[in-house]
Amino acid sequence: MAGEDPREKIPGVPRRRPVHKEISDGREPFFPNFLLKEWIVGSIFLVGFMLWIIFNPVELGPKADPMDSSFIPVPDWYFLFLYQLLKYFGPYLLFPAVLIPMVATLLLMFVPWLDTRRSRRPFRRPFATGAMVLSVFMMIWLTSEAWNQHLYEIGALQPAASSLPFATQHPASTTLMATNLPGYAIFKTTCAVCHGADLQGQIGPELRGIGNVATEAELLPVVTKGFPPMMPPAGGLTSKTELQEVVAWLAQQKQK
Amino acid sequence: MIKRTYDWIDERLNVTPLWRDLADHDVPAHVNPANKMSSFVYCFGGLTFLIIVTQILSGMFLSMYYVPDINNAYYSVKYITDQVLLGQVVRGMHFWGASLVIIMMFLHMLRVFFTGAYKAPRELNWVVGVLIFVVVLAFGFTGYLLPWDQKAYWATSVGANLASAVPFIGPYLKILLAGGSTIGALTLTRFFAIHVFFLPAALLVLLGLHFIMIRKAGIAGPM
Ligand code: HEC
Ligand code: HEM
Repeated sequence: MAGEDPREKIPGVPRRRPVHKEISDGREPFFPNFLLKEWIVGSIFLVGFMLWIIFNPVELGPKADPMDSSFIPVPDWYFLFLYQLLKYFGPYLLFPAVLIPMVATLLLMFVPWLDTRRSRRPFRRPFATGAMVLSVFMMIWLTSEAWNQHLYEIGALQPAASSLPFATQHPASTTLMATNLPGYAIFKTTCAVCHGADLQGQIGPELRGIGNVATEAELLPVVTKGFPPMMPPAGGLTSKTELQEVVAWLAQQKQK
Repeated sequence: MIKRTYDWIDERLNVTPLWRDLADHDVPAHVNPANKMSSFVYCFGGLTFLIIVTQILSGMFLSMYYVPDINNAYYSVKYITDQVLLGQVVRGMHFWGASLVIIMMFLHMLRVFFTGAYKAPRELNWVVGVLIFVVVLAFGFTGYLLPWDQKAYWATSVGANLASAVPFIGPYLKILLAGGSTIGALTLTRFFAIHVFFLPAALLVLLGLHFIMIRKAGIAGPM
């Protein structure tokens, strides 16, 4: 009979609490006690989530246009670290696109057989802990690099003027000078995509008035070196004479 | 009344043992934030599951309006966003939830890793966990294409091109993924099917295994 059962009834369900030897060891029945508490945590979490959603409405970009290859692709943020990895390997896709992710996933999967120390404490197994901390750090760093470079690419960030070798003074005049030089034509086809057809700056900085702050001799090594990865060496030019012509033209840009 | 109904069902189906297996166990003290605040790290798995549930629910509602073809997909998403009652909110839940699942799952994995909870006898559950991780990333990759906007299209073309970097089978893999040599109508229907049928099936099976194994081995004890 129910009355003879020494176990305490759990209200609302046809079950009884098991008798514990030590009552106060902090254990708690999963159902309903713990689940109710967990539900409180979950509710607070959900409220925060819903508030975030209401204040951050999702956008929809322009419709896909397979013809428009000028669109700068960007994956969702959690793939950015892999995307960034691609950039360091140039045309050798096998490593960043296949081998590295595959090996990393397999290593992660076989962690229980790689880390065979008995102890579970993180400091007692420094190799495993160190490897994980390092990987997480690398992923965060690659993600932030990828994101910053993407912002440069879409022109949302202008390079900080102070880090540039030549601080141009943003002259009021916008007319180009010496447009009869051969360097102008070369500029229009190579450099203008980044520095703007009127030198106004887009992805790269504004170059108006650069002739006031730099001579041809000073410009040549800077342009030759470029600013990888933001500006390729020589701006992508392969011919040395063309490079000299562009720089000669650039040195004439003495807008006031 | 409720008890009588329960007993009536129980007499016929004998559900009590099932129910016991599922819910009748004690939660140890060291994982209970009510005892020690720092135990909140043990909530990450449960919170990940909560967001998975909201993803499934919001996804079910989105699929009432979404049309997986290249002419209408974009406009159906636009319609959901601008016209459908609470469409903006449901789409927001699914969009932000995708990121949140990944964050919570990652935190959960870190807590399992740093507490060494993958050690014997829980190795297999760790392997299942890594498989879940891969499946969730695949959800993200396939879902990103579905709105069929510029971002979706070009990110997926980069992704599909990467598949061809796999030695030997690369080009075939790309065609298998994209349904053709370029991203187009077949890619969209394929990604849609993977996103709403294949991956949920895989995820539910894996989550089932995950939870059964947690019940069998119990939560790892204090370190
Ligand atoms: C892919 C885009 C790109 C192309 C193409 C490019 N640049 Fe640049 N350039 C940049 C960026 C970005 C910077 C700023 C680098 C930084 O922030 O450190 C820069 C900086 C410079 C600077 C230094 C500006 C200053 O104020 O110190 C000069 C000079 C320059 N570029 C000249 C050229 C010339 C000449 C060409 C063509 C041969 C060219 N660039 C092509 C992106 C480009
Ligand atoms: C959708 C994703 C996932 C869900 C919903 C989920 C859910 C859970 C839950 C509720 C627990 C109970 C303990 C806790 O909450 O911390 C748990 C434990 C566990 N999870 Fe997950 N999990 C997911 C992904 C993962 C991943 C990616 C891994 C590892 C790569 C993993 C490995 C484990 C292991 C080994 C345990 C046992 C831990 C112990 O006994 O202390 N899980 N999981």
